[in-house]
Amino acid sequence: MIDAPERITLEEWDLRYEKLYRAGLPQPAYGGPLSRHVSDGDHRLLKLRYDNSPAALRLWNFLLTEEDRLHRARAAGKKIVGTMKDLGTVPVMAYSFDNMVAFYPDGAWWIPCVMEYSAGLLEIADSLGIDESFCPVRAMLGAFVTEAHFPIPNMLICSVGATCDDFSAIAQRLNGLGHSIFWWEIPHRRCPEQAEATAELPGGLSAPRCQVEFVKSELARVKVALEQLAGAELDEERLSAGIRQANLVRQSLAELRYLAFTAEPCPIPALEMLVAEMLAIHYCSDRGETMVVLEELLDEVKVRVRAGRGVLDADAAKIFWVNPVADLQVMNLLEDCGGRLCGTEYLFTHALDPIPENVPPLEALARAALADPMAGSSIDRAERICSDVCRFGAEAVLISRIPGASHCALEGQVISEVVADTLGIPVLEIEVPPVADSMSPTVRTRLEALAETVRARRRSRQNRWRNG
Amino acid sequence: MEKRMICAGIDAGSRAIKVVLIDAESHEIVGEGLADQGVEQDKLASQLFKAVLKRNGANGSDVGAIVATGYGRSAVSIADTTVTEITCHAVGVHRLVPKARTVIDIGGQDSKLLRLDASGRVRDFVMNDRCAAGTGRFLEVTAKRLGVELDALGPLAAGSQHPAAISSMCVVFAETEITGLLASGTAREDIVAGVEAAIAARIAGMAGRSVEPPVIFTGGVAMVSGMTAALQAALKQTVDVAPAPQMTGALGAAILASRQLSGAPM
Amino acid sequence: MKTIIYTCPYIPAEWIAAHGLHASRIVPDHVDADLSLARAEGVCPYVRSFIGQVMADKEAGGAVLTTVCDQMRRAFDIIVRNGAIPAFLMNVPNTWQTPAAQALYIDELKRLGRFLVQLGGTSPSDEALAEVMLEYDDARTSIRSAREYLSARRFADAIAQNRVCNKLHTLHAEPLVEGVPLALAGGPLMRSDYELFDMVEQLGGRIVLDATETGDRGMCPEFDRARLRKDPLRELARAYFGSIPDASRRPNSDLYEWLERELIGRAVRGIIFRRYLWCDLWHAELGRLKDRIELPVLDIDSAGENHLERPRISNRIRAFLEMLQ
Repeated sequence: MIDAPERITLEEWDLRYEKLYRAGLPQPAYGGPLSRHVSDGDHRLLKLRYDNSPAALRLWNFLLTEEDRLHRARAAGKKIVGTMKDLGTVPVMAYSFDNMVAFYPDGAWWIPCVMEYSAGLLEIADSLGIDESFCPVRAMLGAFVTEAHFPIPNMLICSVGATCDDFSAIAQRLNGLGHSIFWWEIPHRRCPEQAEATAELPGGLSAPRCQVEFVKSELARVKVALEQLAGAELDEERLSAGIRQANLVRQSLAELRYLAFTAEPCPIPALEMLVAEMLAIHYCSDRGETMVVLEELLDEVKVRVRAGRGVLDADAAKIFWVNPVADLQVMNLLEDCGGRLCGTEYLFTHALDPIPENVPPLEALARAALADPMAGSSIDRAERICSDVCRFGAEAVLISRIPGASHCALEGQVISEVVADTLGIPVLEIEVPPVADSMSPTVRTRLEALAETVRARRRSRQNRWRNG
Repeated sequence: MEKRMICAGIDAGSRAIKVVLIDAESHEIVGEGLADQGVEQDKLASQLFKAVLKRNGANGSDVGAIVATGYGRSAVSIADTTVTEITCHAVGVHRLVPKARTVIDIGGQDSKLLRLDASGRVRDFVMNDRCAAGTGRFLEVTAKRLGVELDALGPLAAGSQHPAAISSMCVVFAETEITGLLASGTAREDIVAGVEAAIAARIAGMAGRSVEPPVIFTGGVAMVSGMTAALQAALKQTVDVAPAPQMTGALGAAILASRQLSGAPM
Repeated sequence: MKTIIYTCPYIPAEWIAAHGLHASRIVPDHVDADLSLARAEGVCPYVRSFIGQVMADKEAGGAVLTTVCDQMRRAFDIIVRNGAIPAFLMNVPNTWQTPAAQALYIDELKRLGRFLVQLGGTSPSDEALAEVMLEYDDARTSIRSAREYLSARRFADAIAQNRVCNKLHTLHAEPLVEGVPLALAGGPLMRSDYELFDMVEQLGGRIVLDATETGDRGMCPEFDRARLRKDPLRELARAYFGSIPDASRRPNSDLYEWLERELIGRAVRGIIFRRYLWCDLWHAELGRLKDRIELPVLDIDSAGENHLERPRISNRIRAFLEMLQ
């Protein structure tokens, strides 16, 4: 059965699922119609539009069953590690053990959106003094209090230092509620000074050798803590194998991103790409299955690219998206307004770049951790954005400010200035809450205006070209 | 018969001025009145005070002491002294509902939550006087935007099927949200219910994790139907509206005036 | 002599002074309508004011910022891009109990030293550093011993200037107001916030513990003189990094241990918790403070617009004091 790629509603997916099911669609154990998650409380799904491929269905089902997997892991006697703030370093270590599963409690920030506030997590955070002046990740506090979403981990590991104050403060509040936390330090990444030994980092960055050594020593502390929890040693060989596995995921995702952002017409919607990128941070609690899910999605995209088929009009405005958005529906809105995703920087590019395999594993992880865009200056981050904008051919940058996030207020300004100075392309900042229904006319106007501006600039360029 | 001395409390709030007269010894309420607040706060307070006295057959010489409270309290020149509305609401509510342990007061421009001990003294309080989204001002803006009277909000909210999600910290932005909701076809009933729920959620956030019952609701917003239910839902507690909720501050002020008159600690 | 401006308590003034430069701790005056910021929403008023002050400073030879707070870290990016004076960002670890974090702090002091040398300073010998440290230590000792004779405002002024203006014997004559003993807790105060001390006194209270960053809490404790003579830089790091409690530290249990000790020692009856809007680090501590300390806590949030906020702050403090009285 060959279907034209398109974005469809949940209702349409249900009908399509029936057809696929009758046609013998192979499904994993967590498969099934998407609408079954609505009865679990995921009401936002009713308002989203999805890619119509079976690969996308698998992606969504994988994402929305993470809590089940964690509970099963607990029942199977596996150790569960909550890796907080760190995006893509400690999970690599944790998955190098046989009896350990890592997950990302910060991911609870999507729950108010997906469940349209019905879980009451933000209200619990409010009652703990963490109100809406903090970023939506405060929902994590509520999830720990209710224990209704993920099992309480055997160990919590949180990176602090050059991270964000919101999360650091929320984690400290959690600690104050009696949850023990293993803190490790990630220093602010700086440029090497004259006469200082330099280390190359992923993403074309560099740092003083001493900073890499410091992070390595911190990760060595984390390793010891994990070994104690696992009751097993994590030798270099196993850790290197873990890194290789992580890199396979990253490699697959890199290929997917490149096709998704550059192929004409756009082969896959923005929403599915957002979900796919999120998998790279923590594997949705199953690294092996993450690989399978991403490969299937990549295969689908390759088929579409080869066939010259896509989900959007060919003239969609190419938008580079900065920061994850609190309401998933806004990714749909971008496309409804005539835009397409053409590059992303969700604050975890270091979790997408390959981890070096030509150096000892702890050293490699330390370099990867130091390449975190949040650990460096906003200027570094802006320069990486500019480089990726050029690589993917984006025509405008959209900065989605995270409501309440302490770093966004000043960082957005620096990124806007650097992008404008370097590339001279339009930059738009928006801010949306976890459920943006009431803001949607305002956001829509801005996104439409951005797409119109991009098209007007295209026309003007074409005219200049015609007129010599 | 010997004429009894009376004491007065004047609550100069942001939206209304309230006057309560009590018997200085028995603390029985002997008169009360309410008028809209305006620019000339002192004059308005004085006029209302005189009118209430006259209506109750009293004159200035019958008044032993006057305490003013509320935002405009320092403008009330006829007052002997001033006390904050926190203390006055606590005293007023304790007089009406001696078992009250938590008082929620939502006025036109601020909201507060008071925790009382068994003797009615304030043990702790939290206040929101920065964000209008947790105050009666939000309801006023909503009513204006929907083109209805404040009184109509309660009945409208009662008809809601799916309260809208209002997320802004700021009433100005929240107004934009209401515009957005109207534009996207959201029912007015759901908007009003969403606004009431947003105010209640803000109060619940202020309350923290423990709210000791009985919870008494005072202030002008307590008279907006639907708000009590919204608060109950947010706090997961029974909430009772104080008798004459707008007058509790003035009543507390009058009781404090009588204490001042008798030389008792206020 | 070039002036080096800074604001974070984890920057030892002694270290700057030992390099032959003048260390000036900025207490920003008020929120500056700073044109270098595209938007003020979401930016902590203290950081905003600090950026404004650094941008406007035509005299300073350099500015030193730290990574203690996220927004200060971003402020450094703004200053580097748009400012006129050389700026240095010092890594101050949030974790403070590990030897690696302590070593990192010392390394960062050395790196700061290199920056100061580039600005015309001279790298100090151990003896020279020890001498400067002793001077500063003496100044702090005299401030501490004058505390019971000073009003809260004058005490804060003395800390800001790192000296007591009057001779101790004249201080005995200064009448101190009686009032409900209170603590003021929170991050740093701006110059205009010092009116809080007066306001509290006028309303019947007295700040007996200034647990803000610009008060007692942010003051480096006394040096261990034996260790100072042996290894002054290490002692400097121990005293500053190892001893100043702050909300930003992970874990920040030392902040509460310090507070509990001081609150009891000074018979405090209530805490005024002063925080800036958008300062997450301190905002998040309000709930913990209430959970952990069994004293009434008054929350005063500020957007840094004192002239507009005065009535509401005064009203809250008055209600708080009515409650305590």
